[in-house]
Amino acid sequence: MFELRGVDKRFDAVVALNNASLSVEPGEVHALLGSNGSGKSTMIKILAGLVNPNAGEILIDGNPVEIRNGYDSRKLGIATAFQDLSLIPTMSVRDNILLGNEPRNALGFVDQKASDEIINRLLERFQIDCDPDDYVQTLMPSTQTMLEVAKAVALKPRLLLLDEVTAALHYDEIQVLFSVMRELKEEGIAMVYVTHRMNEVFEVCDRTTIMRSGESVITGPMDDFSLDDIVYYMTGQRPDKSKKDVVHMHSDEGREIVLDVKNLSIFPKVHDISLRAHKGEIVGIGGLQGQGQPELIRAILGAIRYEEGEIIYDGEPSTLKSPSKAVKNGMGFISGERNREAIFPARTVLENILAGKVAKGKTFAYMPAKANRAFAQRAVDKYNIVIGSLNHPASSLSGGNQQKLVVARWIAMQPKLLLLDDPTRGVDIHSRLEIHEILKECANEGMTILISSSESEELLSLCDVIYVFYEGCVSAQLTGENKTPEKLVAAMMGMSEDQEIVSTMEAKA
Amino acid sequence: MSSTKSTLTLGQRSKLFMQKSPARMAFLIALVLYAITVMISPGSLNASAIGSIVMLTLLLSIASAGQTIVLIGGGMDFGVGAVMSSAAILTTTIMNSQDGRFFPLLFAALAMGATVGLLNGICTVKIGLPPLIVTMAISNVITRMQYVLTQGSPMGYASPSFIKSVTSKLFGLQFLPSIILYGLIIIPLVFYLLNHSRFGKQVYLLGNNPVAARLNGVNINRIQILTYVFSGMFAAFAGMLGAAYMNAARCQIFDEYAYNSLIAVIIGGTSFSGGVGTYTGSIAGSLVMVVLSNLLTAMGLAQPTRNVFMGLIMIVLLIFYNREKKVRQ
Repeated sequence: MFELRGVDKRFDAVVALNNASLSVEPGEVHALLGSNGSGKSTMIKILAGLVNPNAGEILIDGNPVEIRNGYDSRKLGIATAFQDLSLIPTMSVRDNILLGNEPRNALGFVDQKASDEIINRLLERFQIDCDPDDYVQTLMPSTQTMLEVAKAVALKPRLLLLDEVTAALHYDEIQVLFSVMRELKEEGIAMVYVTHRMNEVFEVCDRTTIMRSGESVITGPMDDFSLDDIVYYMTGQRPDKSKKDVVHMHSDEGREIVLDVKNLSIFPKVHDISLRAHKGEIVGIGGLQGQGQPELIRAILGAIRYEEGEIIYDGEPSTLKSPSKAVKNGMGFISGERNREAIFPARTVLENILAGKVAKGKTFAYMPAKANRAFAQRAVDKYNIVIGSLNHPASSLSGGNQQKLVVARWIAMQPKLLLLDDPTRGVDIHSRLEIHEILKECANEGMTILISSSESEELLSLCDVIYVFYEGCVSAQLTGENKTPEKLVAAMMGMSEDQEIVSTMEAKA
Repeated sequence: MSSTKSTLTLGQRSKLFMQKSPARMAFLIALVLYAITVMISPGSLNASAIGSIVMLTLLLSIASAGQTIVLIGGGMDFGVGAVMSSAAILTTTIMNSQDGRFFPLLFAALAMGATVGLLNGICTVKIGLPPLIVTMAISNVITRMQYVLTQGSPMGYASPSFIKSVTSKLFGLQFLPSIILYGLIIIPLVFYLLNHSRFGKQVYLLGNNPVAARLNGVNINRIQILTYVFSGMFAAFAGMLGAAYMNAARCQIFDEYAYNSLIAVIIGGTSFSGGVGTYTGSIAGSLVMVVLSNLLTAMGLAQPTRNVFMGLIMIVLLIFYNREKKVRQ
């Protein structure tokens, strides 16, 4: 039996796990459920040895063990199939599966015959149609995911961790996976199954542990829970089905449409998305991670290409081919991926605030130092950014202040359309609220804001309308009284085949 | 502050100082090296020797101007030397000892430099090859073209007035070569480009975080290509001045400037990984290179031995300038 007891994990100020527990019996499939940021992945990573907890213990068959790294985890009989795959794209299928686990002959060389046998058996078991000598990068994403699982199973683990592996799989592949899981169950292997697809949970899981903001809220046999129960434990509130869906139309009429996205599809994440933003509106994009939100925002910005559909910006079909053109046309972009996409760590606070102004205008134009300083100082004062000096590098600021820096950079430019991709990820609650206030103020002054967020509360408190993405489509459009946590979560799970919501969408379109 | 300083070893402290103000550090190193030179050979303390240091430092500074911009933007230009040599050959061929041909020459040399830079830039940006490989390959082609077009022996000399404009002494003072006048045009121009124009600020952003720069609306391909174009043009101009200084040109005459400009810029504190650096530093780095070379000559070392020493010193400096800082996540 595998057990996590009273586990705490903090990433600086962010509490990822708070006294969380999990226990998995041999021969059971244990569903680990929770919304984004509830700590599921951290739990998996602790067992996989990728993250070391700050407190708590791990027990195997009642004996405390320590998992400091991936090697420890493997030695203890734990294998993991990761959502973002641990395959090496430039190596063959055979080498990937056997990596670090190659059968050896008497002389210590790799036993080719034995490895062929292992590979062929495994590929057959998972019904993977590929040559063992194919390079992984040439395979379909779904085949790669199947390989990821096969690779974990090949280690003959006692505990198998499956982290959202079905997200990239097709229906028949999922059925193959489930039948393998049932066989493994017979063999007495314990499995932890993380997914956002509720129908799968009921199909294959025996017990569940539900998490909410880093705590394990409840554990019990799957049969004891209904879908409503699960949503309740994940959000703390019960979905209210008696309320009628009312379309919130009041402010739309007569207002200028700034952004009109029609039937957009971007391979492979976005299939068919339509949404609309009016002047002065805060439009939210909700959904679980990886449902196409970042792709949509980047397509509007011109940072990635789209295959089909149309983006109408400011009354004209948008032909933006690069972010620099988008910025010149009055867009702004704030990314939550601070380190990768927003901050210039080695440059000063001043230059970071000025970055928006730097990007827009004549290339060889003079930028007077005095005006630059005044511009930056105004932004710092207005948005309460805590800095040592304008000349300190941006890396000297805390995460929350870095993010405020990025927000200030764009707000000061007064863009017509501000795009935000999960802007408050990893930002402390205080800075987050400040950023919300800034955004609301800007919307009141006529700025149009399109914000994607993984935090339900953020969307609910901020947005006039929320489009919920599920598997690259809009699963619901919530306005007015419809903006409830339960409806949002239900739509995020793709459960809103709710006719009323769908019909309001059609009415609007 | 003083209490934390006292807990640091001398090595750590000097490393900290180097990283905080590499330009000042480089000037300091140059001063120390010069003092040693004077101690070894007191005869080297004279106005004309200083004048020659000024001359060579300015020549290297102008050649390093583009290299500085390219490196800050996250690239690298190993073609500075080849462009300089080609510009020098253009100078002697076009001028052919005749006055009044400066402007046609200027146009031809800058056009050549800009074309090479454009090629470097496009190959780096659009094809995505590592800049070191691209610029080396292209500079190799240019070098071979020098031989093809001149049959290996370039003709002519720089015009007398052009030579005079570079090498005569201002106010008759031996330590003030008139190349300073060219420096007075180029150096402020570089400072304007890097520190006061939108272009320079975009270069810093691009070098520090290209992904963020792009999403922020910087046209990163264009800016990156422009850095190479500037590098080619500054190198070409340096090649013209070099030809006037040397009077005549031969193939590959300034090839070592590829390496020297890179080291000068690095000594000046510009980061190999982009986004950090100043032109003041590059000028200081040029001074270090010139003074160091003087010192090795004063020690009576032959050219090959000097080259070995230069290489070793480069490695030592790179270790010191390894500026990996801890980033707050």
